[in-house]
Parts: sequence; C-alpha cells; structure tokens
Amino acid sequence: MKRFQMTAVFIFSLVVIVFAGCQKKAETIKVGVAGPMTGDQAKMGTDFKNGVTLAVEEWNSKGGVLGKKLDIVIADDQHDPKQAVATANKLVNEGVIGVIGHFNSNCSIPASDVYSRAGIPMITPGTTNPQLTEKGYRGVFRVCGRDDQQGRVAAEFVTDKLRLRRIAIIHDKTTYGQGLADEFKNFVADKAEVVYYGGIIQGDKDFKTVLTAIREKKPELIYFGGIYPEAGLLVKQARELGMTVPFMSGDGTIDPKFVEIAGAGAAEGTYLTFGPDPKNIPQAKTFIENYSRRFGEIGPYSIYAYDAANILFTAIKESNSTDGKAIMEKLHSSEFPGAMGNIRFDEKGDVTVSPFVVWITRDGKFVEYWRPGK
Amino acid sequence: MLFQQIINGLTVGGVYALIALGYTMVYGILELINFAHGEIYMLGAYLGIILFGFFTSVGLTSHSLALSFALTIALSVLFCSAYGFTVERIAYKPLRNAPRLSPLISAIGVSIFLQNYVMLTQGATDKVFPDLLGSAGFDLLGARITYLQVLIIGVSFLLMLALHLYVTKTRMGKAMRAVAQDKVMASLVGINVDSVISVTFIIGSGLAAVAGIMVAMYYGLVNYFIGYIAGIKAFTAAVLGGIGSIPGAMFGGIFLGLIESLGASYISSEYKDAYAFAVLIVILLIRPAGIFGKSTEEKV
Amino acid sequence: MRSILVAFWLAFLFLPFKGPKAALMLFAVVLIIVSSWTYLKRRGRTLREKVFPRINALRAMSLSGKRLSLAQCGLLLFLIAVPFFAGDYVLDVAILCGIYIILALGLNVVVGFAGLLNLGFAAFYAIGAYSYALLNVRLGLGFWESLPVCLLITTISGFVLAVPALRLRGDYLAIVTLGFGEIIRLVLNNWDSFTNGPNGISEIAPPRVYGLSLGGLDKYYFVTLAAVILSYIVVKRVRLSKMGRAWIAMREDEIGASSVGINITMYKLYSFAFGAFWAGVAGALFAAKMRFVSPDSFTFMESVLMLCMVILGGLGSIAGVILGAVVLVALPEALREVQSYRMLALGAGLILMMIFRPQGLFGGARK
Repeated sequence: MKRFQMTAVFIFSLVVIVFAGCQKKAETIKVGVAGPMTGDQAKMGTDFKNGVTLAVEEWNSKGGVLGKKLDIVIADDQHDPKQAVATANKLVNEGVIGVIGHFNSNCSIPASDVYSRAGIPMITPGTTNPQLTEKGYRGVFRVCGRDDQQGRVAAEFVTDKLRLRRIAIIHDKTTYGQGLADEFKNFVADKAEVVYYGGIIQGDKDFKTVLTAIREKKPELIYFGGIYPEAGLLVKQARELGMTVPFMSGDGTIDPKFVEIAGAGAAEGTYLTFGPDPKNIPQAKTFIENYSRRFGEIGPYSIYAYDAANILFTAIKESNSTDGKAIMEKLHSSEFPGAMGNIRFDEKGDVTVSPFVVWITRDGKFVEYWRPGK
Repeated sequence: MLFQQIINGLTVGGVYALIALGYTMVYGILELINFAHGEIYMLGAYLGIILFGFFTSVGLTSHSLALSFALTIALSVLFCSAYGFTVERIAYKPLRNAPRLSPLISAIGVSIFLQNYVMLTQGATDKVFPDLLGSAGFDLLGARITYLQVLIIGVSFLLMLALHLYVTKTRMGKAMRAVAQDKVMASLVGINVDSVISVTFIIGSGLAAVAGIMVAMYYGLVNYFIGYIAGIKAFTAAVLGGIGSIPGAMFGGIFLGLIESLGASYISSEYKDAYAFAVLIVILLIRPAGIFGKSTEEKV
Repeated sequence: MRSILVAFWLAFLFLPFKGPKAALMLFAVVLIIVSSWTYLKRRGRTLREKVFPRINALRAMSLSGKRLSLAQCGLLLFLIAVPFFAGDYVLDVAILCGIYIILALGLNVVVGFAGLLNLGFAAFYAIGAYSYALLNVRLGLGFWESLPVCLLITTISGFVLAVPALRLRGDYLAIVTLGFGEIIRLVLNNWDSFTNGPNGISEIAPPRVYGLSLGGLDKYYFVTLAAVILSYIVVKRVRLSKMGRAWIAMREDEIGASSVGINITMYKLYSFAFGAFWAGVAGALFAAKMRFVSPDSFTFMESVLMLCMVILGGLGSIAGVILGAVVLVALPEALREVQSYRMLALGAGLILMMIFRPQGLFGGARK
C-alpha cells in the first residue's frame, strides 16, 4: 500500500520537476507570440507567427538586439479565454521580454491582466475592441485601430458618402462582433434610422429566417459585426432570398474565404472597413517582397504582426534595457517607423492616427475604395 | 413573410427529419441514443465536398456534371453506410449486454473521435462547396424559393416515403420491426438479429449522408462541428415525434424546423438554438412518449 | 486473412479523408497490429491478470484506510511545499487541477454514486462562477460573503434540474441535462443587461483575508488546496454515510432499493443538489482565479471533459476520479505539442474504456 502512495508521490514530484525544469536561464532575448495557432482560426495565428518570424529573422541577421539573438516563444490560446490566461502565465514563466498578441478580444483582455501584473509589455496586432486599452494598463498597446474608430468610419461612409437612411444591423454575439455593431449603431443613429438590430449565433448555418425578417423592413444597407464565415453565408442567403441590398462589415470579414463562401457574384460590392492596403504604402514594399518570398500569400494581419514586432525590438534597443517598465515608457514616448507608416502611441496605448479606410469587393478581390475626410 | 418563413422552416425541417430517422430506427431496435449519428451526417457533408472536388480535378465534372454528381452521392452514401456499420461493430456490439449507460458513453466517445478525426485529416477551417446553382429560383406567393430548396424538400419526402415502404412491405423491414419488438423472440423465429442491426445502421447512415450532401450544397459551407448541433436537433425531432416511430421522426423534423424558423423571426434569433432544447424538455416532461409514440412500462 | 480484411476495410474508410498514401500506411499499421492480435490478446490477459488485480488490491487497501495516514501526511506536506519551489506556470496548472478535481468529485456523486448520467454539469459550474462574478462586481460583495449565497444558488438550481430527472429514465435524463446546459449557456450569452453577454465579466476581485489579497498564484494555490481537501473529506464521508449507501443501492437496482424503503425521489434530488453544490464551489474558485468569466468557458465540451475525468478514473471511486482529473488537466499541458490529438485519444479512450474496463482505471468491479 505504502508503495502505491509513495509511487504516486514520486510520479507527482517528477511531473512538477519536469515542469519546473522548463524554466531555463535566458541566453537569448525571448518574445512571445500568442494567438489562435490551432483550431478554426489557426490562419490568424499563423499570420501573427509568420509576421513576427520575419521581423526576428531580419533583426537576427543584423546581430540581434543588445548583442543578443532574438528568440520566439509561440503560445496557442485556441481563442479560448481560459487557455489565453494559461498561455499568458506560461509565457511569463518562460521569461519573455514582451508579447505580440493576442487576436481575439475575449483572449487579449484577460491575458492583459497577466502581462500587466508581470510588468511585460504586450502589443496586439489584431484586437480592435476598445475595452482592451480602457483598463488603464501602462503596458498594453495595439498597432491596429479601435472598433469605435472603425464604427465611426463605417457610419461616416454610409451616411455621408452613400447617403443611406435605413440601416439594418446584425452581429454574431461575440465580444468583437457585438462590440463593433454597437459602435456602428451609436454613430449611424444620428443621421439614419436603424430599422433592425439583432444577433445571430456564431457557427449557425441558416440565416434565412433572420434575413426574411429584415427584408420586411426594406433597409438600404445591412451592416454585419462579425467574422467571415457568417458574413459569407449572410450575403449568399440574402441573394438567394432575392435581396439586392448592399452589405457592409468590418475587419473580421476581410478574408478570401468570405468571397469563396458567398460566391463571387453575391459578394460583389460588399463594403468592408480595414486598414489601408499595404500595396498603396511605399514603406511596405520591402515587407511585401520579403514576406511573400518567405511564406507565400500575405494574410490580413501579417503586416500588423510584423510592425508590432519591429516596434517592440526598436523599443528594447532604444531603451537599452530588457526591463519591462523601461520598454513601456519608450513605447509611449517615441515614434516608430513601420511598414504601415510611422506609428505613435497615445497615453492609452492606441495608435494616434486612426488607420481605417473602406474597401470594396470587386470581381472577388478586395480593393481600397474610400478614405475618411475626403 | 409567413410563407417565406414556412419555406425556410420546411427546408431545414426536411434535413432534420432525414437525420432523425437514423436516431429513431436505432433507438427502436437497440434502445440506444446513437450520439454519433450527427457525426455521420457531418462525414456525409465532407465526403460530398471531397468526392466532388476529386471528380472536378480529374475533369469528370466539366465532362458531365450529372454523372459526377450522381457518383458523388452514391459514393458518399456508400462510405457513410460503411462508417455507420463499422461504428456499430466496434463501439456498440461488444456492449450489447452492458449496463445502459455504457453504450451511451461509448457513443459520446465515437462522436468526439469522429469530430477530431475529420478535424485532423481535413483541417479545422471551413470547407467550401462550389456554388453550382447560384441563387437561381422563382417567386411564389411573395416568397423567394431556390431550386435547391425544392430539391431538398422533395428528396427528403421521397426518401421518407421509400423508407416507410421498405419497413412496412419488405422482408427485411418486417424483420426490423420484429427485432424492435422483442430481440429474443425474433431470434427464436430465425431472424438474424446481428444482421438486422447492421442493416439498420447502414440505412440510417445512408440517409444521414444524403442529408449531409444536401446541406453542404445548400449552405456551401461545412466544418467539423456541424454534426453536434444538427445531431442534437435531429434527436429532439425524433423525441418530439415519439422515438422509435418512423412517421413520428418525419413529423418531428418538419415541426422542429418550423418552430425554429418562426421562433427566430417572431421572438428572437439569438435564442434560435435554445428553442429545440426548450421544446425537448417540455415534451419529455409532458409527454415522454412523444406525439406518435406509445408509452411502454419499464421492464423489471 | 481476417487481419487483411480488417486492415483493408479501415484503410478503405480512411481513403477519402487523407488520400491513398496515408491509407496505405494505415493499412500496413493495422495489418501489423491485427496480425499480432493473438500476441496482444495474450498480453492483454497478462495485463488483466497481473495488473488489474494489483490495482484492485491497492483499492481495497486504500479503502481500509488507517495505515495510510503516514503517506497521506507526506503527500500533504509535499502539496503544501509546492509553491515554494514551483513557478507561476506550475501553480497555474495546479490550481486548475484543483478546480477540476472538485468538479469531478461533484459530478462523481451524480454519475458515479447515484448512477444518473448528467451531460450538462458545466451549467452548475457556470452558475457558480457567474453568481460570484455578479455578486462581486454588481453588489461589491467579497469572496467569503458571496460564497454562501453562491452555493445556495447552485444547490437550488441542482434541485430544480432534478425535478425532471425524477420522471425520466437514464438516457432521456442525459439528453435533458444536456439541453439544460446549453440553455444556461445561451442565456448567459444573450442576457446582455444582466450577464454582460459574450463580453463576460471582468475585474472580479480575488478573495481577501484581513485585508490581505489572496490573488497571487502562490496564495491562491492554498485556497484551492484547502477547498480540494475539504471536498475530498466531505465527499468521502458522505459516500460512507446512509445517504451514500442509499445512492449506491439506487444505482445498482432502483426497484430493489425502493422496496427496502429508500425514497428514490428524494435521493435523486439530494444527489443532484449535492453535486451542484461542489460545482458551485469550483465555479466560484474559477471566477476568482481568472478574474474574468465568459460563456465560452462553459460549453458542452467542458461537461464532456468532466465526464471523461470521472469515467477514466472510475465511476464512483474517489481516488480514481481525482487521478482522472489530474491526468486530463496536467497531461495536455505537458504535451502541448500533440494537443490536437488529445481529443481524438479521449474519444477512443472512452470507447475502449467502456469495452474493456467499464469501471475505469481505479474503479472497483461491480458486485
């Protein structure tokens, strides 16, 4: 009997020692990359990973930072908040200097608690939910825009450029989708009438019921807060119901799969808000060449991840320190050149210049269509 | 709007009914909730996409669309039936005399296994079925109906009718009903119970495969977790009609499709999935035998 | 011949999903396994003859109890010592292990002792977590003040769900609990004004003692450890009490049990409520640890995972269930790289377990 108990104790201690043994002393400077690396959103995580990898390779070929090589630690949050906290703790435990991530709002927000407690800066390339930087943490930054900025640009486009007055709004009941739809609703409600506002279930396939209800209200535009699979199905099924009303959505929809699901005919003319096209940015030319040579097609978030990594490394270099606090102060005070243009963070950690523009779907491709204020 | 919603509901309901038939047949014979049945439907949808893609890549689709389509359906049904048969042999047959919860847990195991099997072999991202008919359709009484919707409703009703005739008229169908009534007696009069059970799984899986392909075509989008929610809803449909009863499953499927469609449009679309569960709980509390089922006393 | 047939059949099924090359490989692998089947069978017998009796013997001894105290003290000392040498990551995993141990112990009361399959146990876990989150964030109550309220709410919800359970047989009950679990999750996700919908509730305060925050992982570890030890002792006591024996009797033979005067209805109610109580403890611990709750954490897969812990460890066996929880939480952490295969293995494991050892690794054979 005792033997059994002793064996159990032995095995347990062994497990603990193995875990504890993972904490090695740093010979390199480690940075974490966190996002959904497996599962149905694995593509976004891969974009992050590739973008950061490219930046790291470029820095290492020039001798690294502060005389040390850079090293990536990848963390898979599986777009699950619980996993996000666990992986954040794991990254902290491995001694990363900073983190590029996460992607989903409901992962970035709880994970930011962990990083802030540990005094590690975090730069997200893709979380647009305003809540993230409203918590007052010094070390939380984002290189993308915020949903309130995105919602405002979309609303401006709809009411001022297209001059539409009857709007239907749908969202997918996620932190991201509902947050974006609500921001859009706030801004659009001044000048137009919101004739329908409601949620659908993410992962559902049949939206004809909700679309039939919307059709009765005769909207001039349907706005969707959510990501591409549902967006594609919504557009496709609306066309099947004989609805020709234009669609508009946010940065979660800008994925080639959207057109594939909706069918090129149905997707034609769909408006999307997203950052400016890198192809139109002179600074991005080398990035586009190097990235496509190394990894093939550029994902929507590759360039943001690349910029986020470069900004972090520059801040480490310029503050001449691996101390989290010094890096955070540097991030707040300097301006950084990036592939998307120069970036400066405000007090909250958001980018000072709102980067959103409106894109349109033409012949199955996304092209930049309208810039606010013009 | 009401007529449009009824058409929407009928389309979804037809699919639920086809899947529900598999649940009800297996339950009628083995008193087992075949939790993995929804995954067979998911396999059918995947096979439709894989096989159609294969025929397109070898050039058969451009040569003859109808032939490549027929082959896709035939092979998907074949493969799904094979999967259903194999699942029964591996996961349920050894447990035929085990306590009642064992096969149910084993079925949950099969369900998890098949989901992850497809995720690992086919990837976790959505698969897209090529858009063949586009949004072609016609207008009727103020509703817009696509040809695919007509096809789905039509095929579902035809298959249900065929199944009904098979069970009531053929020798094998009669054997099935005998086994459902009393396994021991059936074997005493010379019915091979094992093969009857196998045939039940094969037919149920074949129907689920057809449902899977039609759904893949209709929505154009498939992922590895569609089987879970569709399975639960189809099971609800089977219970609603009275589990074990074939006309009951057909009725339950259509009824559930309509409830969902009308509930989502007149109450709230955010709770769409909850309607099925709410109906299920209410039915089980008020009339556990379902609308068409006969209540049976538990054997001591 | 038979082995070729089996291998060919499985390879055939595999063919459309991964192409001919992979199917051929599978064919070869299955062929080798099946043709060495007789060998495996013999090994299987040795396994069954040599290993299983030893496990059973260990069980018997661990149930007899008294001589254990020394080893138990050793284990306890070790567990207390963990925060002094382990890093945050290990503590994080250990706390999660603790929470799942409590959940598994609670579910074990319902499934293992009383024999009622509950596929919606995550609902109670969610109710516990949200109760604490809402009491704390909306009303500003601290952890210790909210805990009794929280447990009251979950226990009552256990009672409420048990009402339909009284009327339904095994597998129907399973489906109703599943439906209940999904409805709870959908309500949490859609009732924006109350639960904050999909955004979840953040900034939940950790427990405090005399103004000292227990939010640090090393301190929180002890809170969890205490809760685990408490749940272990209580569940063990109840298992041996009149109620526990009544549950077992009811599980083995409902009609027989009622004929000797056991009130089946009441005992079913008790088992659901008692199980829900522990889910409430785990939920509150989870909310206070994550300081964030959202409906995503309480899906059907979560219920299935808990069920797997109970079944893997052994239905009704307390030590087995604890081990099952530890294995299923810690193992995937240790093997993060192969995590995508975790669920595949879990599914296959459930099937194999039901066929070859339905009582679980550490469960005793049913008499």
